Amino acid sequence: MSDAFPPDATRRLKTTALKAGAVVCGVADAAAFDKHAPQGHRPDDLLPGARSVVVVGGAQPRAGDWLATSPWVLQTMGTTDRIQSVGRKLAQYIESEFGYYGLYVPPGSAAGDTPFISFALAAELAGLGSRSLAGPILSREHGFLYWSIVITTAPFDVDPPEAEPACPAPPCREMWEREGTTPCLKICPASNGGCLEGRLENGRAVRTFYDAARCNTRVHTHWIGGFQKVLDETLNEPDKEKRKMLLYGDFFTRTLWAITYSSTNIAQCFECMRVCPAAHGLKEMK
Amino acid sequence: MGIFRLDPEVYKQHKDEVLRLCNSFQKIGQRGLSDREIAERLGLPERTVTEIRCVAERDCYPLEEWERAIEFKRKATLEWSALALKRPELKDK
Repeated sequence: MSDAFPPDATRRLKTTALKAGAVVCGVADAAAFDKHAPQGHRPDDLLPGARSVVVVGGAQPRAGDWLATSPWVLQTMGTTDRIQSVGRKLAQYIESEFGYYGLYVPPGSAAGDTPFISFALAAELAGLGSRSLAGPILSREHGFLYWSIVITTAPFDVDPPEAEPACPAPPCREMWEREGTTPCLKICPASNGGCLEGRLENGRAVRTFYDAARCNTRVHTHWIGGFQKVLDETLNEPDKEKRKMLLYGDFFTRTLWAITYSSTNIAQCFECMRVCPAAHGLKEMK
Repeated sequence: MGIFRLDPEVYKQHKDEVLRLCNSFQKIGQRGLSDREIAERLGLPERTVTEIRCVAERDCYPLEEWERAIEFKRKATLEWSALALKRPELKDK
């Protein structure tokens, strides 16, 4: 293996990513995180000497998933597993093909609910999308995607950030003019038991408030938090029969199904994305 | 021995401030601080701040909020199906 970094390495990497199942692949400069992420949550903190961050996106829900009449369909389908396997493959590819370190960043948490590194920031810096009013990164071409990232010491060519955001979509701008709200703000308003507040300003989305703790009760209803809450309630319940109702009931059973199913996070609330014209678009099918 | 266990009094004393400073309630132009940054600001060990944050994030809504989440999603999903498929009767399914 030659010491020189192959000039076509980035092209080969991206071709490999797309062949492996990614819908998009981009590269961010590892140093670009320094301006946005606190110390301890930057690529170089996980892999000293990191030079670039490879980001892949894909595995998004299909048109039929968005239309399902039960929220538990997307809850069960909404898994990052498929795109994470692409990330793992790329880490192996970088090491075996180019001889540089490739650290696949696990999608789990570093402490509590805090990730090792912000996947959203990585996708933005790699030019694959931009932050929506509701929060998730949206690709202009593909809408809502799941993400996986690999930190590497390899000096891949870096992509510029996306120039024009997907959010707000034209129908949302029209709705703002008409009603002073957008689909995501209307479905989940912080002022009425939801998570979001924001506005459109000069055609741009400006999020003013986000209640991540409440969002957690919705995104991870039948997940770690739900498990802990019911367990706490059960331990405080002195009546044996009432304890049984809690432990054998639907909430706890569904929670156990969810947390024993997968090793990665499963999203369980899609309502801000379900109504978002930029996230998936409404495709009429037979 | 055992695992690191937070003193409930320390938790009560600092939970509101830690929640305010971390990423749990986000406001525009105000990045949530990392545990290390909060620790420096409050003069606490980082591990203690991590524990306060983890407990507080789970503690700030009661179990009823999880139940409300289920109802919210059930209703929102049916409303979308009804709208997207142009079948208003689905709303009441």
